[in-house]
Amino acid sequence: MLAALVAATVALGAKAAAPPKRVAPAATYPAGPGQAIAERACLFCHSPMLATQQAKDSTGWEKTLGQMEKWGAPVNGAEHDTLRQYLLARFGPRVPPAAAAPGTPAK
Amino acid sequence: MTRTSRRAFLAALARAGLGAATLASLPRWARAAAAAGAPAAAPAPPPSGADFIVRNDRPEHLETTLEALGRSWITRNDRFFVRSHLSVPSLAAADWRLALTGLVTTPLTLTLAELKALPQITAVHTLECAGNGRGLFQLPSTSGTQWERGAVGNAEWVGVRLSTLLARADAAAEAKHVWFEAADLAPVPGVPPFLRSIPIEKAKDDVLLAHTMNGEPLSERHGFPLRAIVPGWFGMASTKWLTGVRVENQPSDNHFMVRGYRYAYPGEDPATAPPVETLRVKSVITGPVDGSIVVVPRRTAKNKRPLLRVQGFAWAGPAGVRLVEISTDGGRAWRPAGFMGDTAPGAWRAWATEIEVTPPARVSVMARATANDGETQPPEARPNAGGYGNNSMHKVTVSVRAI
Repeated sequence: MLAALVAATVALGAKAAAPPKRVAPAATYPAGPGQAIAERACLFCHSPMLATQQAKDSTGWEKTLGQMEKWGAPVNGAEHDTLRQYLLARFGPRVPPAAAAPGTPAK
Repeated sequence: MTRTSRRAFLAALARAGLGAATLASLPRWARAAAAAGAPAAAPAPPPSGADFIVRNDRPEHLETTLEALGRSWITRNDRFFVRSHLSVPSLAAADWRLALTGLVTTPLTLTLAELKALPQITAVHTLECAGNGRGLFQLPSTSGTQWERGAVGNAEWVGVRLSTLLARADAAAEAKHVWFEAADLAPVPGVPPFLRSIPIEKAKDDVLLAHTMNGEPLSERHGFPLRAIVPGWFGMASTKWLTGVRVENQPSDNHFMVRGYRYAYPGEDPATAPPVETLRVKSVITGPVDGSIVVVPRRTAKNKRPLLRVQGFAWAGPAGVRLVEISTDGGRAWRPAGFMGDTAPGAWRAWATEIEVTPPARVSVMARATANDGETQPPEARPNAGGYGNNSMHKVTVSVRAI
């Protein structure tokens, strides 16, 4: 009887209900102004994948860079802005602020 | 670390012109590689293949696919999700010690053999990363690994009750919190060590210090030689590579307590937001897989009701899970699924049900769990800035065809 319930499940490449825009994490930092800074300042502690899977707005990247610099990432003042622009341009917000769902208040 | 990114790392170091002093602080494999002038084999590369989604390869963030999760109540060690904050330490069992210090009458120092000589407990507990589901939150910014649904697993642990050690050390009356000190460190000294603390009531209840996972000694990536297991709490409480248990009168002020792991909503200061502690009630559909084609037997005189089997797991915090319900009309009508298989306190429950279908059809199935304390999964959890505790209901859509 069990066999009559389900015969087979075939995985399909395409997703039915696509989640928000996803960017597969890259194993290298993409070319552009800021690549060399990212490699020098960030690769020491973590793989590029940690950064390249992110989707953040300007405030988000500013917070991240501030945190990393406080923890020892060697980035000077001019490099900071270049790096923030580089990350924001390539790994910017996944959804615009207006589209962010308010959702159910958590208890 | 994959071969590609290891090469990229070394190439980038060369481009950056890092000198010998810098190389001295690199991981062992990188030093060896630099000395040899060619990429060396990294120790224990991340397991790859169909069972894992590599979200990050250094430090390792490995997510189990739902197909792999769905195969058994116990999640096999080689497909159990991995989340490490800092570099994985290589600890030698012979040199390793656990120190129990702080507000105690008798501080303890124990070898692994001494720990194993104490009364041993075997228990099955589910671990879920607090960031599981972060990548599904609709927020412009969520900082951290973009997990979807597979940063969760269920294993059988063997170890010593923390309460046994606290009783032997005779924890003082003013003891209020237990700090878990660990051996993992970042490659640079400015990064705070990873440290979590839990209230003494929880520490004296059901917390295990485990050395064995599904019948095998803990692997390096899962915390060899000893890790905490804090049942019903999100995974970061279950500190890996444990070296110290410190009894204190207040919670730790470590970064990963005060800034990280807080339910702060956009614009709020994490330091004043509620901490991320116990698991939120949640269910996951492991089969059928979202977007798949499911083939069912054709409708015949004998087989009047083609059925689609739907199954998964459900879990909750210390209260435990009471009920799983299924909806096929977008959440208007719900009917209960059945629990099946094994059960243990602090472990998830397998559930399954069958839905009558009329192929060819497109079917959307939603699952929601309810805990014994009455909490029910929300349709959409409110997104917090850290992306923690996303227990939004899981929905899968499949094409059902007949053969």
